[in-house]
Amino acid sequence: MACHRLVAFLLVLGFAFPASSAQGPEFKGGVFDPPRAAPDFALKGSDGSDLRISKYRGKVVALGFGYTFSPDVCPTTLADLAQARKKLGAAGKHLQVVYVTVDPERDTPERLRAYLDVFDKTFVGATGTPGQLAQVRKAYGISVAKQVFEGSSAAYLLHHSSFVYLIDRAGNLRMLSPFGRSVGDIIHDVKMLLKE
Amino acid sequence: MRRLFRLSLALLAFGLLATLSRAQSQGPEGSKIRIEGAWARRAPMLKDEAKGGPTAGSGNGAVYLTIVNSGSAADDLVAASTDAARTVELHESYEESGMMMMRPAAKLGIPAGAKLELKPGAYHIMLLDLKRDLKVDQVINLTLVFKKAGQIPLQAKVK
Repeated sequence: MACHRLVAFLLVLGFAFPASSAQGPEFKGGVFDPPRAAPDFALKGSDGSDLRISKYRGKVVALGFGYTFSPDVCPTTLADLAQARKKLGAAGKHLQVVYVTVDPERDTPERLRAYLDVFDKTFVGATGTPGQLAQVRKAYGISVAKQVFEGSSAAYLLHHSSFVYLIDRAGNLRMLSPFGRSVGDIIHDVKMLLKE
Repeated sequence: MRRLFRLSLALLAFGLLATLSRAQSQGPEGSKIRIEGAWARRAPMLKDEAKGGPTAGSGNGAVYLTIVNSGSAADDLVAASTDAARTVELHESYEESGMMMMRPAAKLGIPAGAKLELKPGAYHIMLLDLKRDLKVDQVINLTLVFKKAGQIPLQAKVK
């Protein structure tokens, strides 16, 4: 169900999976062909700012969705992005990681800040009202499902789409990076976008 | 003769080393369960419980490792505990319908002569309600509980 939604969403956006991509074979991730403007949003940033994705024009943005309660998938993604940024050296300052929570109930801006700082102090978290966040998720084709498990001390766990978008310096959605991609692949694609 | 002496010394040293490294993470006498490559993901203790809501907790972490069962009988990892968190649960992340899902697991089975790798995006030991920050290069103490092999203490380095 969620998968069909994502595929339909990606087709609408003109997303091309790597194998079928004619124009972007040099990228390691799936590419958007042609590129589409990344939907803008106004959320509350973990740095206290009004966070709009458009304010990072001029930088390459890695946009991910997750929550601080997550011990496994989200920290893995963030640790990989932190390592990629570090390995990019001086060019790393042109990569901005933006992490939008899927769990506004638990994630305050302060909590997001403390969580992201462990990986990279330049990462910015974003939260908002449940309604605002639902709109952002819809615009980006992100699914979330809440589940309560008996026998777990966690009040609830969230299942969510775990891919990361890469947005180019002009503010266009360019690539989709699924969970588990190598840091080398991420660096490769960010470098390609930085060269443009 | 002298060469033989040296060789036996080397063998003795090797045997001693092997015994020592086994002792670090092996269960009671006769147990055939061995733990390899344990590490924990760095994670912050999140203090703002009140602001984060009643269910937010103080931050969570994860430990990854490989369980090697060289015995002739299957065994189950049934529980774990640590000095670094109030609660420890066995969990599994898996992909379904394009989403990353997570669920608790009552036990993790390791067939006879098999290995089970706990790794990012798959099985992991979830630490709930951290008692302290898990900072890079620190070491946390854990105890794994197996159905047959019993308790196996070990250490995991934070990465």
